[in-house]
Parts: sequence; structure tokens; C-alpha cells
Amino acid sequence: MEKILNQEKLREWVDMLDDCEVYAPAFADSVWNYARVEAGTDIDLSHTNTIGSVKEFVFPQREVFFRFEKKDGVPVLTATLPDPKPTVVFGVRPCDGRGMPRNDTVFNKEFEDPYYWARRDKLTLVGLACNQPHSPNCFCQSVGGSPHSEDGLDILMTDLGDRFHVKGITVKGVEAMERGRDAFGAVRDGDQAETEKVHDTSRSHPQRPLGNLDAIPEAIRESFDSPLWADMAQHCIGCGICTFLCPTCHCFDINDEVISPTTGEGERVRTWDNCQFPDFTMHTSGHNPRADLGSRLRQRVSHKFLYFVENHKTQQCTGCGRCITECPVGIDIVAVLERVSQS
Amino acid sequence: MVNVEEIRDYAANLLGKGEVKSVLGFRRGSASAFAEPCTITDVGEAASLVWDPTCLNNLTLYLVKDHKQQAAAKTPDNRPVGIVAKGCDSRAIGVLLQENYFKREDVVVIGVSCEGTGVVDPRKLSAKLKGRTASRVSFYGADGINVRVYGEETETVIPAQEVLADRCLECRAAIPTLNDIVFGEAVGAREFDEPFHAAKAAESLSADERWATWEHHFDRCLRCFACRAVCPMCYCPECVVDSTTFVVTLGTSAEEKANRIRWCERSANTSESAVYHLTRAIHLAGRCIDCGECERVCPVNIPLRLLNTKLEKEAFEMFEYQAGHDIEQASLLSSFRDEDPNSFIR
Amino acid sequence: MTDNIYLPKIGRIVGIDEETQGARAIKTFKVEFPNDDGFEHDCGQCAMLSMFGKGESMISIASSPLVKEYKQFSIMKMGRVTSAFHAAKIGDFIGIRGPYGNQFPLDDWKGRDLVFIGGGVGLAPIWPVIQTAVARREDFGKITVFYGARSSSDIMYETDFEKLKASAEVQLSVDAPEEDWQGYTGFVPANLMDKAPSPDNAIAITCGPPIMIKFVIQNLQALGFADEQIYTTIENKMKCGVGKCGRCNVGKDYVCVKGPVYSWSELRSLPQEY
Repeated sequence: MEKILNQEKLREWVDMLDDCEVYAPAFADSVWNYARVEAGTDIDLSHTNTIGSVKEFVFPQREVFFRFEKKDGVPVLTATLPDPKPTVVFGVRPCDGRGMPRNDTVFNKEFEDPYYWARRDKLTLVGLACNQPHSPNCFCQSVGGSPHSEDGLDILMTDLGDRFHVKGITVKGVEAMERGRDAFGAVRDGDQAETEKVHDTSRSHPQRPLGNLDAIPEAIRESFDSPLWADMAQHCIGCGICTFLCPTCHCFDINDEVISPTTGEGERVRTWDNCQFPDFTMHTSGHNPRADLGSRLRQRVSHKFLYFVENHKTQQCTGCGRCITECPVGIDIVAVLERVSQS
Repeated sequence: MVNVEEIRDYAANLLGKGEVKSVLGFRRGSASAFAEPCTITDVGEAASLVWDPTCLNNLTLYLVKDHKQQAAAKTPDNRPVGIVAKGCDSRAIGVLLQENYFKREDVVVIGVSCEGTGVVDPRKLSAKLKGRTASRVSFYGADGINVRVYGEETETVIPAQEVLADRCLECRAAIPTLNDIVFGEAVGAREFDEPFHAAKAAESLSADERWATWEHHFDRCLRCFACRAVCPMCYCPECVVDSTTFVVTLGTSAEEKANRIRWCERSANTSESAVYHLTRAIHLAGRCIDCGECERVCPVNIPLRLLNTKLEKEAFEMFEYQAGHDIEQASLLSSFRDEDPNSFIR
Repeated sequence: MTDNIYLPKIGRIVGIDEETQGARAIKTFKVEFPNDDGFEHDCGQCAMLSMFGKGESMISIASSPLVKEYKQFSIMKMGRVTSAFHAAKIGDFIGIRGPYGNQFPLDDWKGRDLVFIGGGVGLAPIWPVIQTAVARREDFGKITVFYGARSSSDIMYETDFEKLKASAEVQLSVDAPEEDWQGYTGFVPANLMDKAPSPDNAIAITCGPPIMIKFVIQNLQALGFADEQIYTTIENKMKCGVGKCGRCNVGKDYVCVKGPVYSWSELRSLPQEY
């Protein structure tokens, strides 16, 4: 389904999604991030990319798996599967959209993750094509994506200035468009051509190149023992920014949080975790298979550009560039791959 | 005006004579318009050093990192390290010396004056540009910075005071007091904002307003620990807020690991993140030298510097103590004077 | 709720054997499923055991799959969860998820000699294979079990070893010499070289401390064992057990799903991150 939505009708459509939780980018605290949209308010789609990625809607930073307590000395477990309202997220950039099928793979393969899917099944992603790269660190096209990729999105909107071209991609997306029926107009002569022109122009902007994507896995494999990794991680501070902001990083920790030490009541909780933290792989004995920052940088890059490719035939990176732009010390995954490929 | 060639020559000379094993400095990176830290070990690399108001990092962090690495190394290389240091960076070295973390002869301080400027605050710049990225940031004196916004043809000039880091606007010593050499003119207190300007502004709010503000901020915390990781004063091998025993040797007993108190759960919710940030702030009281690195690196822009400068304001007003200003002085929390205001001391 | 991969079943401790004493004591726990919702497992598989309020740990299932009434786990006291197990009493309840991981390809080894080499608590993962092989005695050739501990009081499954001698050759060793010790004194790899089992039509299965495994494999190769004839199990820190949480990977493999059992020819091709 393809429709035209005038800029001033956007709010009308959003208001008609009144039984859903609607989120859209908002600029607050000097950053763009997703915020809840209350009925009757305008949304601002002039954003670059949000600091947090859409993964937060399916893989929140804190997920309670179950509550435990003791009844007559026997542990009683109560699963706390989420039951969210249908959720619609506006302004999702195509790089983040492409992250979702990758996350789906992880939370599906071999064992299905019921917490992830309870949220995922209720989620509709309304993408917004990028009319130009937002940052010099965008490289979606270098990892097989595009500024108007539909992969992982339910709807793709394209900004044509005074109006949006809106394309329903999935059943969920078409349904969300049908909800706002009166707000939309038909696609007229020229709209299609203009949309394509915007897409073509966007694709023509230069992006950071990755060279031969197919050769990268082998280059990483061969560099495993190279001193290059320690060198490139020399100024790494071992924080979690790169992975926490990444639309595809999904590693997590599981801990028990005791609510009442007297009754033994508590919760088992999943939280985000990060391969750059020193305790991530540390055994109880103190032995650590990835004891230094170099091996941890290698793990992050290898997971995305070697191991994930070996397991799922695609990169676990969509080129959003957050890990580069937000790194406090300038560690740059494109430059890292370049050096590895040249070594 | 600091002539970067002089810094390069000095660094090359130090390396050439073998007086240092490496020099910590800044170079242009590929990731952004801001400079990135570098460690040079060859004379030839000195040419890549840069110095301008995009040199944000407190490089003293890497002295701490090197100290830890050498302590763990089988064959440690304990030769001195050269470091390009701003006023705040040199105060960080001062605190580490006061705390006997390493010795004065372990470091050669290549001081650089921030002169009339200071460094740019990326979050202020981001606010100005509404999240867009600056692909080029250049500085032509105290009046303004020239910014090329990514995707635009022309450069925008922004008044410097609007995008300089708060710490620079409030700086009382824009020149490294601890140094082996200084490049640039000596500049004392700034004429922009009075010291503790931001902390004083926050104090004017009611307790409820302040709590609402911090609740909002702690709720947004990702617990990426970048603020702790970037802080040169957070050098503890094991942090109280880590939920597991970090430093484990063959002699660490199961009981020790099992009984470790979890002061702070990993859950990134308001209460746990408040415990984390407040614990960290308290542990930095009388030690924070206001480099503002914690605030700079925060990906969601929590104004962490406010927490620390509030405590430094207390230290200054009650004890006339300024962390890292005088390495001969005993550190605040390990000393007392008869005239200290607290009654319990007498 | 059977679909919830993170929700443990309830297990009950019905037996506790104190295997060894000391700072890193080992206890063996027999666990039943009071709600009759137990699971079957294969040799080499593991389970995620919970002490609610303390957390979960991945522990290999040390009982044979042929034993249906209970599962057995030998646990060394190391950290938060394992200490809670060591404080547990008969009748206490635990959480249990699984079975996880792959298995020793016992059926592929029909008609071959089996050489087991274990050290310390590393005997637990290969113990179900030994028990199953002995129960299916006619399927295999000669069965030899090497096992080493620090001292005679550190030997696990002591009474079971006595029974084992009826159907297998048992080669015990201790690191520290003791007055009344009848067996070999020295490290496991040295005892292996001393007894020099034949590689002809044999499979070697080893598990123990990493440094022991390293030298055992070197010595097996010196004895003529090919990489395909050597099997071991590896472990890494695990949280989910189901190939998602991301920390136990060795190269592209998540050990909790693709491991823990590897032939040396497979393991050799993976990065040494374990």
C-alpha cells in the first residue's frame, strides 16, 4: 500500500492510533531520543538519528523474567511475561530497521525468547528514509543497506518536503495506515517519481567505504593473533557506549535481585551487558579468556563481521555509525576494519 | 598563542634522547571533528601531534592505565611517560601524586596553556546544532568558533562562550601549575563565569526540584560506566558498585566472592543508578579536579559535573581546599586542621 | 509455561555426598523433580542450576542418562551460587533448566577402546560417559580410566571407583606423595605417558584443569592419537545457556549450544578463547 500524507496530516494519523502507545524522536537534554507521544501533540521528524536504537522496544535494559518467593518452604515462580499495548514507533531510520531482523535471528534461533517476542509481536516500526546521511560516520550502504531500506520496517515514509510518501510494507504496517485512512491521500502522478528521485539523491551522497565486504571475514580471521588489536584498543576505556547504543548488540546478564531477605522474595532480571567490560567473560576462578582490551575489541568486531557472517550469512552491523560518533576516544570501527583488511 | 610545532619538537626531543618511553598527546582522528588521544613512541610520530580547543580528553587517564599495565607486566617498563597536559589534566596528575599513586619522576608534564579559550563542549555544540554533527570545528581566538555542519556547504560562526565547556568558563587555573615546561601564555582565572557558577545556579532550586531533576537524569542512565571508565581518579582495581568480585587470585576464597555485598544491582533503574552516581560522587569529594570528562562522555548527557563540583564547592568553602592545586598539601580526606569547622575534629 | 526458556523447573536435593574437603570442596548432589516434569539428557550435557536469590550456574550433569530417577551434579565451591549449594541440605529446593549443549558421540565409538583421562572436578563431565560405557560394556573394547587428584582425600567418587574396577582398568594418581598411597604419584599427563595406552582403534576423552588438558593432549599426540581420536569438554562463563547472552562464545560457536563437547580436530580450528 502506498499513500501520500501531507505534513499537517501527520498529527491526525498519530491521533487515530489512540489505542496504541506511540513513540517518536524528541530532542531533549541535547540528544535525540525516542519519547512517548501524548495524544494531540505534534511529532518532530527533523531528527538525525536517535541516540538509543529501536532495540530498546524489544530488548529493554531491564527485563524481569520471573518473581520468586517461598510458600510453605517451596519456591514458587511467577513468570512476568510482558503484555504491552500495541506500540508504534515513528521516525525509525532504515539502519535501525535493518537491525531488527538481525535481533530476531538471535532471539529466535534454537530457542525462542518469549520476552523478546511478546514485545516484538506488538511493535510496529514506521521508518523514515534518510534524505542525506546525518553524520560523516554513516555507512549503511557499505554494509549492504541503503538510506531507504525497507528491511525490518513495517512502513517506510519518505519526506518530500510538504508531504510524505508512505509505503506499507508488512501486514502490521498496512493496518496502521488503514487506521489513519482519512489522513492519507492517493499517490498522484509525479509522487512516485519524486520519491524515487529523493531516494536516488540520498544514495548518491558519499559514505565511508568498507572496501570488499566479502573479504573482511577472512581478513579478521587471519589477524586474530595480530598485535594490531592491542594497538587499536590502546586508548579504549572499556566502557559500554559502543554496544549499548548499537542497534544489534544484544548481549545480556542475568541476576537475581532480592526484594526481601527475610522472605526470600525477589526477581530474576535480565540487564544489558557488554563484551567490553572486563567481567563479561571472567570465570569465577578469575581466569579470563578475554582479559585485555585488545581481545575485547577484537571480539566486538569479530562478532559483527566474522562470527555472525559465519552463522547467519550477514553482518551484524547496519552502519548507523553510533559506535564511532559516540566513542569517547575516537575508536572507529570503519578504520579498524580498514587496518585489519590492509594488514 | 600556543605554537604546536614547539610541542612537537619538545616531544620529539624527549623521545629522541630516550628521556621518556612514550608521549601522550592528541592527534586528528577519523571518527569526528574532535581530536583523539594518541601515544607516540617514535620521534617521527611527533609530527602528528595537534593542540587546539578540540583536544578534549584528560590524558592523565592513560598515565593510570600505563601504571596498571606495568604493575601487571612480567617485565615492566617503568621509564617516564611524557604527557601533553592542560591545566585540569595537570591537576589530575597532582591528585595522583598527593595520593602516592605514582612518583613525580615517572611523568614529564608538557604543559599547555588554554590561554583565552578552553575546550569545546560537544553537548553544547550538539544542542546548538539540534543533534547534527559538526564535521569541522576550528577556532580563531576567543571570540568564536567556526563550525562546518555535516551536509552543509558553509561554515557557521558560533560565539565561543556559547559552546565552551562550563569547566573552562569557570576555570581558575587555565595553565598547568604542575609542569616541566609550559607552552602558551599564563592565564589565571577566567572572566567568563565565576567559579562554581553552575553549582550555585543549581543550589537556587528547591530540594524537590533538585530531586525531580536528578530522578529524571538517573532514570536515563544507561549504566555504560563511561563516566567511571574515563575518570583518572577512578583508579580502584575493583569498584564498590561492581556486583561481582573483580580481582580474583588463587587465594580468593569462595566465601569472599559469595559474601560480596551488592551495593548496587546491575538494573539500570532510577534507584540503582542513583546509588551508583552518588557513591561515585562521594568517592570523588576533594579529589575531583573538574576536567568534566564524566559529563563529556555521557551518551545521554547527564550533567554529572554538577554532582562533583557541588562537592568541590563544599571543599573549597569549608576547607579552602582545591584538589590537585598543591601537591605538597595532604589530600583533603586524609588530613585535618585545628581550624576545620567540624566540631568532632576537636 | 513450558515454552519459557528462562523459567527453571523445581528440583529437590535428595542426596549430598561430600567428595572432597578444603577451600575448594566438592559435593555431589542428587536432584529429583518433585513435580514430575524432569527431562532426559545425553552424556556430556549440562543444566543451569539456580539457588533463588543467588543466581544460576551452568553445571555438567554427572549422572548417566540411563539413570532416570534423579540427576547428579558434582559442584566445586567457587563463588556465590556454588557456595549456596554447599550450604544446602537434603530436602532443599533448587531451580533447574536444561538439558543444554551437545553430547559425546558414544554411538560412533562402538567397538573401540575408550581411554578416559580426568583431573580434579573435571571428572564430573566425563563420568556419565564412563558409567554409560560400562553399562553397555559389550559395545566397547578395553576401557581405561585415568584420574588424578591432589591427594588421596581429593579423589571423587571413591566408592564408585571400586565398583568400576570390575569392568575397567583404573589408573589413579595423586600429585602429592603420601605414605600409604598404592597408586601413581605425579601429575595425570605423566601417569598417562607411564601407562602409554595404545591409540589403535581407541578414543581418548579428557577433562580437567586447562593446564592438565593441554599436556594430556600433547602426550596423547605423542602416543600416536590423531586429533579426531581426542575429545574434551570446554567451559566458559555462561548466563543464558541458550546461545543468546553472548559471553561463552569461542569463535562463532556458543559453547552452551554447540559445546561443551569437542574433538580436538574441531577445537583446534577455533580461537583459543576459553
